[in-house]
Amino acid sequence: MTAIPFGNHKHLETNMKKPTAIPPIDPARRRWLQAMAAAPLVAGATTPGPAKAAVKTRARIVIAGSGLGGIAVANRLSQLLDGAKITIIDRKEEHNYQPGYTLVATGVWPVDKVRDRNADYQPAGTEWVKDMVASFDPVANTVTTASGQRIEYDFLVVATGVHLDFAQIAGMDVAAIGREGLTSVYPSPEAAQATWAAMQAFTAQGGQAVMTLPATPLKCAGAPLKMSFMLRDRLFKAGTLDASKIRFQSALGNVFGVKVVNDNVLERWQTLGIDVEFSRALKAIDIGARRATFSSPEGETQEMPYDLIHVVPPTRAPDAVKNSELAWKEGPFAAGGWLEVDKSTLQHRRFPNVFGIGDINGTPRGKTAATVKKSAPLVAHNLVEVIAGRQANEAFDGYTSCPLITREGSAMLIEFDYEGRLTPSLPMIEPLQDSFFAWLMKVRMLKPAYTAVLKGRV
Amino acid sequence: MYEIWLTLNIVWEIALGIWPLLLAGALLWLALLGTAWRQAGQHWRANILPALVIGAAVAVVAALLLPGSIGSTLSDMGYWVDWGMLLALAAAVGGVAVAFAWPLLSWRHGRARA
Repeated sequence: MTAIPFGNHKHLETNMKKPTAIPPIDPARRRWLQAMAAAPLVAGATTPGPAKAAVKTRARIVIAGSGLGGIAVANRLSQLLDGAKITIIDRKEEHNYQPGYTLVATGVWPVDKVRDRNADYQPAGTEWVKDMVASFDPVANTVTTASGQRIEYDFLVVATGVHLDFAQIAGMDVAAIGREGLTSVYPSPEAAQATWAAMQAFTAQGGQAVMTLPATPLKCAGAPLKMSFMLRDRLFKAGTLDASKIRFQSALGNVFGVKVVNDNVLERWQTLGIDVEFSRALKAIDIGARRATFSSPEGETQEMPYDLIHVVPPTRAPDAVKNSELAWKEGPFAAGGWLEVDKSTLQHRRFPNVFGIGDINGTPRGKTAATVKKSAPLVAHNLVEVIAGRQANEAFDGYTSCPLITREGSAMLIEFDYEGRLTPSLPMIEPLQDSFFAWLMKVRMLKPAYTAVLKGRV
Repeated sequence: MYEIWLTLNIVWEIALGIWPLLLAGALLWLALLGTAWRQAGQHWRANILPALVIGAAVAVVAALLLPGSIGSTLSDMGYWVDWGMLLALAAAVGGVAVAFAWPLLSWRHGRARA
């Protein structure tokens, strides 16, 4: 296998948009990296097999973010590469199992089950910069942290996750979650815990619950639905269902992006007595008065009183990505500032030495842990291919999974791809079937699976 | 193949989370096995059937109790996959019961005869 010269970059440009600028690399360093990349390449590690030789390289790889995607890719790269300098940049020391937030927020799990330490999962030998990336300069191959530290890289993995844009909701105060019927499962373990406390207070009395859904892409798009299902179940078990009303306000024309699932959920909610209104975006909230203001596309506003409200914030890319050259400049992902990656290879479309993993990617679907589970091996493999002087050659199909809880003790195991086709992993799984097995997976098996992904083993 | 590897890793991570309990159980079982081996004599084979009966009874109880232990109920068994998973888990619990009951019964039988 002939090492392709790093210098002409043609191997990186095939099937990609013409880069706006190829980052200049020191010629001596380039020759050194080419020589090191001539070693045999390790195959993708998605299945067990005989160990293959790691690629020898002195490449400097920066991973921005230490969530599931960042750490999973770091662990895989540390196995696939011999000699690379891997730097993880993230201020967070606590690692949160975010798929467990809905279980905490609905009283199924204690909060400590979603709290771990990043230090326990980062691979040995990586440098951990405990700071946040403030800006990306892909032309100069550098990132700058919030404290002003400038870090150069040869390759970059963007794993920053999303920014929860609560600021789009006038009057919203994240610190007030848990008080005056204000809930939100998204911000943190503490918010999830406070949400459960508020839910308990609400179900003891009953009343009007307002559940919201914004128009932006979401991480875990099923969470607003799970919260609605579980709230209804908790009201039923508390005996206050008859004294209550749940109103789901969607800013979209649906409640879920996969039509067959959307239609199934709406049918269930009709039976369960959950009202749905569409094209209703939450614009403002008066926490003390317990009143929410929704707007329609025509500009009409509607005030709605509530006894409990579940606020789902609009999301976008963090400022560091949104304001950089890495973000989509046109198309449906531009408004959110999402990372401009090829949806198949997850390689940046204009900067070939940059890859994206997780929620930050501007792709048609897939802001879930399950997406990272399936794409982390691919990103690591494709990055190693590029380091070795070849093309990214594995393609991602957009796999996403959502164990959609329908009540305590039962869930639907929804799995789908970029095209919205249901793609169950096991042939006997019926995706739209209420299932004990799906619930068992959610409460007992998915976190161990997540941990294995973190460690780079699956 | 991927699903098998994933399942093995899930089991491994669950085991890592409860390793003190697993270790204590394994040591207890080995101690029981060793003690029974010295005293059971000819009574090992005679106690297979009683051990299996105990295992089956434990499996039945496990099938009834397992759903509740994770916040679910028997009425949440939606289709054959759910029943299959429940019965498989109950059978596993029953198997553990057999693994402990057999040497225990054999040891007691041997002591009674001595």
